[in-house]
Amino acid sequence: MLEHVLVLSAYLFSIGIYGLVTSRNMVRALMCLELLLNAVNINFITFSDFFDNRQLKGNIFSIFVIAIAAAEAAIGLAIVSSIYRNRKSTRINQSNLLNK
Amino acid sequence: MDLPGSIHDFLLVSLGLVLILGGLGVVLLTNPIYSAFSLGLVLVCISLFYILSNSHFVAAAQLLIYVGAINVLILFAVMFMNGSEYSNDWNLWTVGDGITSLICTSIFISLITIISDTSWYAIIWTTRTNQILEQDLTSNGQQIGIHLSTDFFLPFEFISIILLVALIGAIAVARQ
Repeated sequence: MLEHVLVLSAYLFSIGIYGLVTSRNMVRALMCLELLLNAVNINFITFSDFFDNRQLKGNIFSIFVIAIAAAEAAIGLAIVSSIYRNRKSTRINQSNLLNK
Repeated sequence: MDLPGSIHDFLLVSLGLVLILGGLGVVLLTNPIYSAFSLGLVLVCISLFYILSNSHFVAAAQLLIYVGAINVLILFAVMFMNGSEYSNDWNLWTVGDGITSLICTSIFISLITIISDTSWYAIIWTTRTNQILEQDLTSNGQQIGIHLSTDFFLPFEFISIILLVALIGAIAVARQ
């Protein structure tokens, strides 16, 4: 069972990287970042369940990762909405606000 | 959760199928709001998967924070930025997409080979013999609370300060 869960997590990680690199919308890039963090969390929970059954340190680390992901999503969406207000676009390759 | 083996395997396989299809949907669907709902489906399935692997507190935290806060925030952002611009670039398959898919599949295949080459059961046996054999009666959530208030007290306080500062900063950036 452990190998299957790790392969599933690796699948989520690689498809998250693919979406993060190839997406043209900033909000979609943030969604793919959430996929990456969830793949890391699945690994933490699985290793904590299999190897560290009494200590539960993997669960605590995944709670920390979830909190950091919440902060990152709030900051990222605020920046995206600010860029959208200035540029009327959320394309990644058009956000050259430092250029003018 | 202590389910019998066949039901556990059936739930695991079905959750895995939903995760695979939902992950493809997040990346490949053209409308961003469909991919936001697909992300919500993926997050709910990951939470059910945490319940299957005996981590009920993290499952509840995942369901509350990811599905209840982050996904709703992403849906608000998608609905706030009206998406009339996604329709003209949905069928552009450039060279960079091909190179990226090649690199990502190579990363995935190398990860699979590493996972299947590692002998996990030897590690399981070495860690099982080191563990304390006495079964204390505190539950999962109680143990997480004890760890958070003793061993991880300083990171816990730091993460609360980080959350406070990040949310105040997000309000200050997004304000008109």
